[in-house]
Amino acid sequence: MADYNKPIPQPDPTHTQQFWDGAKEGKLMLPRCTVCNRVHFYPRIMCPHCHSMSIEWIEASGEGYIHTFAVQHRAFGGWADEVPFVTAFIDLKEGDRMFTVLRGVDPSKPEEIKIGAKVKIEFEQATDDVHVPYWRVV
Amino acid sequence: MPSNPSMAAAIVGAAESNEIGYPETPRTMMQLHIEAINNVCLQTGIKPSQIEAVFATGNAPQIAEYLGIHPKYFDTTSVGGCSFEMHVHHALAAINAGIVDIALVTHGENGYSARATQGRGTGRGGPGGDPWTPDAQFTTPYGIGGAPSNYSHAMTRHMHQYGSTHADFAQIAIATRQWAMLNPRAIMFSKETNPNGGALTVDDYNSSRWISWPLHLLDVCLVTDHGGAVLVTNAEIARSLKTKPVWIAGAGENTSHSSMLEMGDFTATSAKASSEAAYKMAGMGPSDMEMAMIYDSFTITAAITAEMLGLTARGEGPSLWADGNASPGGKFPVNTNGGGLSFNHSGMYGMQLLIESYRQLSGTAEDGINGIAGKQTNAKSLVVNGTGGSLSNTGTLVLVAD
Repeated sequence: MADYNKPIPQPDPTHTQQFWDGAKEGKLMLPRCTVCNRVHFYPRIMCPHCHSMSIEWIEASGEGYIHTFAVQHRAFGGWADEVPFVTAFIDLKEGDRMFTVLRGVDPSKPEEIKIGAKVKIEFEQATDDVHVPYWRVV
Repeated sequence: MPSNPSMAAAIVGAAESNEIGYPETPRTMMQLHIEAINNVCLQTGIKPSQIEAVFATGNAPQIAEYLGIHPKYFDTTSVGGCSFEMHVHHALAAINAGIVDIALVTHGENGYSARATQGRGTGRGGPGGDPWTPDAQFTTPYGIGGAPSNYSHAMTRHMHQYGSTHADFAQIAIATRQWAMLNPRAIMFSKETNPNGGALTVDDYNSSRWISWPLHLLDVCLVTDHGGAVLVTNAEIARSLKTKPVWIAGAGENTSHSSMLEMGDFTATSAKASSEAAYKMAGMGPSDMEMAMIYDSFTITAAITAEMLGLTARGEGPSLWADGNASPGGKFPVNTNGGGLSFNHSGMYGMQLLIESYRQLSGTAEDGINGIAGKQTNAKSLVVNGTGGSLSNTGTLVLVAD
């Protein structure tokens, strides 16, 4: 944890505290509208689908699929030491999408990384309060 | 009953700052603005004191102050490279409403000088700012920030969904370079002016280094200085000047997302909606266009935008550039200034698009400074589209010659 040298997200008390509280316990928490039952991400206090203000938090499966990806050959700060690395947008099993650095893939062989491949979430402790989610190809 | 603003206003002049590209002496943003404003005023005969409206990304009041004028209308829309197409849209509306008769749209951006003197460009990304935005919590912690690191994800998805290949995208870079070789002010005009300039081959493209796979270096735009200004007036004034008017037949703007988390379809942009609005206002369609100026921050930006503007079928954007179709002498010229890829890209490239659009439709694209023999096309109509953010915001204009 002391050696986590990447940018550390700062929880937003209005929108994302529940997400980061869940991450600390190794859980993927997602906001779901109690009116239209749709999950959305990034978290909001208003449902972007039906505009209700009635949002609950659910524990998600932590499973998803690669929607698209790229191999970063240039980066800044702590990430500069890691190039090349693979970034990806993940379609969540419950709906909507997250972004990640993808684990379990070889950045020198992008042609072997498959869009649609199944991925699972894992968390890395950055500080006492913030555990950063990452997705790994299974 | 509101009237259709089509043709209610014209772009009556367009000029750049004295030096653009990679100036030897660092330029300030204000210097780039003021030189361009001076040049467009000299070109048209309109005096700075006659300007009634100032449109600029953020600093319109400072520009008015510098000029010592008191505009009765100003607009600081700053939503990336498409801002300037939107400024023209807004100027058209203000003129059509009778609020102002003469509007200035101005751009000054020292992407190159800022990097040279401060070690950074004028683009987004990096530390600082609100830590609680969605991107600050959910995308930038993963090592991305600059535009290439975002846009590459769209290219991967396009290749997956439609089977497009690097060979297809290479055609965009090569055709655009051919136009730059007809523009002496283009960074990549020739090997004499830049060691990486001059003709581009498929091998050059394939061997250029990865920036963010699948984006090669030669899929990525330049980082330069640029100042530019255009004047927009009502029809009566437009007909009275020494310059030729280029009429604003249609205009539209739209947005699909801000964070790429919300992009939805990675192979589509709001250019579909903004161009449909512009075509509708103009009473014209894609088949009426005789050339196009398309934002090419990256080859993938240009390819997707070509599809969204209705110039190709979905998934076939790169085909617009194939077989010399969009090259000098081709059937459908595209990005005749050499594009953001090979001419100039300061961070927000929308003004460069407007200036070249004005030059082509006013018959001044081959003045020896901004173009040599072969650059002027016969086009009498064009569609020009700017893209801003992360494939987020778009502004489209349909312009026609007098």
